[in-house]
Amino acid sequence: MSGFLLGLASGTSCLAFCAPVLVPYLVAEAAGPLRSVPLLARFMFGRLLGYLLFGLFVGVAGSLVGQGPRREIGFGLAFLGLAALLVCYGFGQPRRSKAACVVDGRTSALRRLAGRWPGVLPIVLGLLTGLNLCPPFALAVAGAAESGGVAASVWFFATFFLGTSIFFLPLPGLGALRRFETLRLVARLAAGVVGVYFLYRGVVLVHGGLARL
Amino acid sequence: MTEACVMPLSAGRDRGLSLGRAVLVSLPMVLLTAFMLIGGRGGMPRKAMEAIPLLITFGGVNVLFFLMAKSGRTDRYRAVLFVTVAVSFAISFVANLFEVRGSMALTEEDMLRGRTPFCHMVIPMTLIPAVFTRTINFPGSMLGGFAPIAGMFVIWIGATVSLGRGFCSWGCFFGGLEDGFSRVRKRTAVRNIADRWTYLPYAVLVSIVILSALSLSPTYCMWLCPFKTVSEYVAVTDFRRALQAAIFLSLFFGLVVVLPILSRRRTQCGLFCPMGAFQGLFNKTNLFEVKIDQSRCSDCAHCTRICPTFSIDKASLARGATRISCSKCGKCVDDCPKGAATFHVKGTPFVLGDKLARFLFLYPAFLFLVVFNGGMIQDTIRRLFLLVSTGSLLR
Repeated sequence: MSGFLLGLASGTSCLAFCAPVLVPYLVAEAAGPLRSVPLLARFMFGRLLGYLLFGLFVGVAGSLVGQGPRREIGFGLAFLGLAALLVCYGFGQPRRSKAACVVDGRTSALRRLAGRWPGVLPIVLGLLTGLNLCPPFALAVAGAAESGGVAASVWFFATFFLGTSIFFLPLPGLGALRRFETLRLVARLAAGVVGVYFLYRGVVLVHGGLARL
Repeated sequence: MTEACVMPLSAGRDRGLSLGRAVLVSLPMVLLTAFMLIGGRGGMPRKAMEAIPLLITFGGVNVLFFLMAKSGRTDRYRAVLFVTVAVSFAISFVANLFEVRGSMALTEEDMLRGRTPFCHMVIPMTLIPAVFTRTINFPGSMLGGFAPIAGMFVIWIGATVSLGRGFCSWGCFFGGLEDGFSRVRKRTAVRNIADRWTYLPYAVLVSIVILSALSLSPTYCMWLCPFKTVSEYVAVTDFRRALQAAIFLSLFFGLVVVLPILSRRRTQCGLFCPMGAFQGLFNKTNLFEVKIDQSRCSDCAHCTRICPTFSIDKASLARGATRISCSKCGKCVDDCPKGAATFHVKGTPFVLGDKLARFLFLYPAFLFLVVFNGGMIQDTIRRLFLLVSTGSLLR
């Protein structure tokens, strides 16, 4: 349930990251709202696939760490790594994501790719944007890692996917929004703030684990 | 932009009123503040220790409003009251904590027993997650205390509807501290703050809303509030709480003291505060705004350098408006060398140096500042009398 709630609460951030990739693609490929629905479905399938695989990975990694103080230290160090990544990403100079570069309004290149792999391209785009280092994704990683097992971790990501997906439903009818760049900047900075939060948590966990050793 | 009426060059700066008109304009404020400050207590108190602080507050605020009317300058006199409110809040609140708890420290037991007072900073992380999760994250118990909290929400809604982000310069009892520190130095030491940092408050807002929804705890109060330093700090009983206390102190001294002194801006309000970001969203629906007459503007960009909340940039200047984060403090209106900035009521024709629009905004804004915070000023004066007579701020 907490995965679903996190998805609901952070869906707009997710949208801010995925929409710059998805909207130009939909605009380039689909002639109208109805025709963009199957493309959106494939894109969402790609996201789901990415989330489930990552949930599996996080769950396996979490179960390998074990229990007790070592688990605390393990998670603490993982949180510190995640925090460093998020802070650099959020507060560093922005760069364009690879998925965004693939689309980037260059419809001719896109059409060429879509012509070569018509069914696979939206799935790959969904996979790439789904695994973006946005704040909701980072929080989902932490939530899944603490959920206590492989199945619980995969379930966490599946419900997180459901929560965020609600925000994608109006996209076929919306078209491109003007303020995506600002939203992306805010979401990037939010990733940095969330990174600082993980820094606190990481330090507290490592300290607690070391004290109990 | 709507039509701009042409005025003589000096008119933009000469916005004051004659003595008679200033008195006339100030009279409604005298009556309103008398009604709210004295009438609200059921009449004039008989004890000198109650009556004198009330009279000083009443007289002081009305002198300030008169000076605002007479001189035509808004920010200069607003800031005097705003800083007084913030200092009064710190003195009154901390002294009250010592009387009630015997310490400024906030323990787990205090939180569980709901001994934490309401603070407007928690509004975004209370309201937004409540919409999604139907769970209220509140730093304390609401049992037995729902009525005053509901009352605060009603006051906040009223202030937000009438002032928008003006709440941050005309109501917030924290903002005055950095406003005061930003006026300490005559020269600016830190000038170039990248534009992208002005979006940080929205990022903090998004982060605390997500984190509060996920952890079902008041994340901002637990980890990010710079004002814990002047209100109630977490009792340091273990490593985690020591870390929290260190964060609160660093954020306070960094964002509320050092950076405002160096940059002469309100850096906590402009670059960090999630409540401010939330309030800014209501500027879209608020009647009042600050507009810039492009025909008079000489592109000197003075306003972009002095705006305390980073609410004017080249792009907004080109639109003849401020950004969504404008807290309507009036500094740009006071200081524009060409007098191109003006208070304006949306939906009405744009008139440079519009006195009516200015007063239509000033009445509710100033009254809110006085009524919302007047009690704290009186309490502080009482405590200062106590300090002089007994050597202690505590009753």
